[in-house]
Amino acid sequence: MILLTYLLLSGLTTGSLYALIALGIVVVNKATGVINFAHGELFMFSGFVAWMLHVQMGVPYLPSLLVAVAFGFALGVMTNLIAFRPLKNANIISLVLATIGIAFMLRGTARVIWGGKGDYLPFPPITSPEPVMIGDIMVIPQQLAVLAGALVIMAAFAAFFRLTRAGKMMQATADNAKAATLVGIRIDRIYMLSFGTGAAIAAAAAVLMAPLTLLYPDMGFSFFIKGFAAAVLGGLTSLPGAVLGGISIGIIEALAGGYIHSSFIEVSAFIVIMFVLVVRPTGLLGSSGLRRV
Amino acid sequence: MSEALLSVRDVSVSFGGVKVLDGIDLDVKPGEIRGLIGPNGAGKTTMLNVISGIHAPHQGDVLLDGVSIVGRKPSDIARLGLGRTFQTSQLYRGMTVLENLMAGLHHRTKAGLIATSLNLRSYREEEEEAEEAARLSLEFIGMSEFADRPGSALSFGQQRVIEIARTLIGDPKVVLLDEPAVGLSLNRLAEFDTLLRRIRDEKGVTLILIEHVIRLVMDVCDQVTVLSSGRRIAEGTPDTVRNDPEVIEAYLGKELRARHSAS
Amino acid sequence: MALFGRRNVLCAMLLFAAVAPFFLNDYYLFVANTILIYVLLSIGLNILVGYTGQLAFANAAMFGIGAYGTGLLQVQLGWPFWLAFPSGAVIATAVGLAISLPALRLSGLYLALSTLAFAQFTQWVFLNWEAVTFGAGGFKTPAISFAPLPISKTMGLYYLSLILVAVLFALAQNLVRSRIGRAFVAVRDSEIAAQSLGVDLLRYKALAFGISGFYAGIAGGLYSAMLNFVSPEGYDLFQMVIQKSMIIVGGLGSIAGSVLGAGSLVFILEALRKVKGIQEIAFGAILVGFIIFMPGGIIGFLKAKVRGWEEPLHRARPGKRSPIAATSESSEVRP
Repeated sequence: MILLTYLLLSGLTTGSLYALIALGIVVVNKATGVINFAHGELFMFSGFVAWMLHVQMGVPYLPSLLVAVAFGFALGVMTNLIAFRPLKNANIISLVLATIGIAFMLRGTARVIWGGKGDYLPFPPITSPEPVMIGDIMVIPQQLAVLAGALVIMAAFAAFFRLTRAGKMMQATADNAKAATLVGIRIDRIYMLSFGTGAAIAAAAAVLMAPLTLLYPDMGFSFFIKGFAAAVLGGLTSLPGAVLGGISIGIIEALAGGYIHSSFIEVSAFIVIMFVLVVRPTGLLGSSGLRRV
Repeated sequence: MSEALLSVRDVSVSFGGVKVLDGIDLDVKPGEIRGLIGPNGAGKTTMLNVISGIHAPHQGDVLLDGVSIVGRKPSDIARLGLGRTFQTSQLYRGMTVLENLMAGLHHRTKAGLIATSLNLRSYREEEEEAEEAARLSLEFIGMSEFADRPGSALSFGQQRVIEIARTLIGDPKVVLLDEPAVGLSLNRLAEFDTLLRRIRDEKGVTLILIEHVIRLVMDVCDQVTVLSSGRRIAEGTPDTVRNDPEVIEAYLGKELRARHSAS
Repeated sequence: MALFGRRNVLCAMLLFAAVAPFFLNDYYLFVANTILIYVLLSIGLNILVGYTGQLAFANAAMFGIGAYGTGLLQVQLGWPFWLAFPSGAVIATAVGLAISLPALRLSGLYLALSTLAFAQFTQWVFLNWEAVTFGAGGFKTPAISFAPLPISKTMGLYYLSLILVAVLFALAQNLVRSRIGRAFVAVRDSEIAAQSLGVDLLRYKALAFGISGFYAGIAGGLYSAMLNFVSPEGYDLFQMVIQKSMIIVGGLGSIAGSVLGAGSLVFILEALRKVKGIQEIAFGAILVGFIIFMPGGIIGFLKAKVRGWEEPLHRARPGKRSPIAATSESSEVRP
């Protein structure tokens, strides 16, 4: 029983990391219909920027976080301008590969700037590093901070999309870009805003997660692919789906690792993905749009 | 009943709880040009989708030349002699016009993996014949000079005509046309009217067309079926249908129906 | 026939490749053989992605399955290379066909992810099923001999690769110029119209997946023989990105483009070895640059600027035809 609880909790916390990544991916996809394959690298790079400010230069925590988030936003906008805007009408393969190209450039740059500092860089947590006891289980408060962060971001964006004008404009653009233009929505700006926002979420995620995962240039891709898997599992356009997907994957990994074999941790997410997509091609909470011909 | 080439029997379709088609019956005789009209949302395109196999109805049957085609794959139904065009342009943009037409012969040719990759003679002959047929088809619609244009370089109107030719080249018995006259100017409308008649007269193809351009429907159709909210509310010659009070109400509302019968 | 047209250039390249072993040293021969292997991978991938429009990420995995299949059949079951090699390709083809079934219902990003997931799964199997695959360390394969021909293993394998490339290139070229090639493009450009014109989606998607699996499997078998070694490293997502880059740089929807893309990218990667620190940055920049400024790839550029590079999707008949004369000839197929 205690093993199960431990595994569930462990899965929940890892899952919230994935959920955070997935949220950023879904925000961009909801507005643009595109997956930014550089998302993981945006996440990684902003994390390093925060590290540089806070750990290396001694800037206090909150300003570092804010600057990192702003920087992430800027990186997102840059990705939009380089890889998305010129290729809006190109086929999806070109788009995906262009963002992959940017991912390589970011990874290489990060390696050049910070790679020499040692393999895995530590980052201080937002909460006290002392573990806390919940019942019989030991939990690091930062893990709870991550989970809380994921839920807050999800709620904030759900509200944003439903209640604010900008959010509604984003949804309109995603639904039907031509119609959106006709009603006066500046879709180019919306796309830029979406990419920036998605990247900003990634940056916030990095700062929240860095104390737990440590920072290293290759972290981008491994988290991206889990986040992508989580987003698809939840249904690519659903924010609650992203959170649900992330946590599900975290828990599945933990259970598989605990009950079957530790080597199953890496792969169980993918087995689940393959299975879900066969059975329910649009994910758990996604909607299948009816095509009009 | 037994002379009908295409027969729809009591077909019903629901999407997410909404009944889009409710017990529709339709019989189209060979050589007929049948119009299918009705206000937006009446279920006309869904009807075509059911006939061509894209949606399976929850109840009912569809018979093509006496053979039941419900539940079959769209590609199989095409093989049995049913063609169709779509509301939005579905021309193959990555091919030339000539190749688009040759692609229309897909189910009338049979060279397989071995014959094509080894460039066997049987395949080469078949390919030549297909090209020939494609050129003749272009002549029929008077667009021979477009043969080598890429599919992406045509105007909307040109695309629609090529798509019709592409459907015809495979020798279908029945062709379903979904709003083929969309965007045509008045001049072109007359040409299109002639084209439809030629297709029926010279090629013996039965046509069913969904149209909003009422003028075309009235001129060229032998019979017209009117759908509204998933039900068939009228059927008959264009003139009969034009004056049917229920049809007027469906399109224009109760007030105008009253005004019309009063006048 | 255009002087610098596709046919002449490719023939020249073939000729050059045929005599290359006589003046290239072992290292460059290794690079040349690598190019040949990547040409096979690119052709198969281009048929699936470029022609049929399936955004699949499983090719590197099938490459690995071909390599592991060929290697393990030799090492675990003692089969000779000449039996293990085609068998490895058959296994990869079978896997390709198997993936196509669920792929039928998926498109775009969902297909990308499910094939990505499959690739990760395959990679994990290579790494963890140690009893069979020897795990992370990999395993050596027995050196193949070309007896009784008096050529070294390196030469022999090079010529085997070259012959396979020439044959498989020709087969692919013929295939895409036929009704099958047109069916592939139909699936890519409009599934719904394709169906209404008699194209069975499952059959043609499966065919495309199967063909790309076959080409990848052959490439994998050759690769395992070339290195005499098989390990999980060469078949990961980075490998997949390289293959995709090859068909983008070469040109999507072009068999000749696949050749050019494979060659170019191998040269680029070799050149990048020299700039150790900024390898990734340079590769990324080249990739983005090509996509934005030369979206049609090298072949797109050639088609626009040089005569003789067209790649029609039908067999153009030699000589002119007059419609009147033709009418009397063909009575088989009515328009």
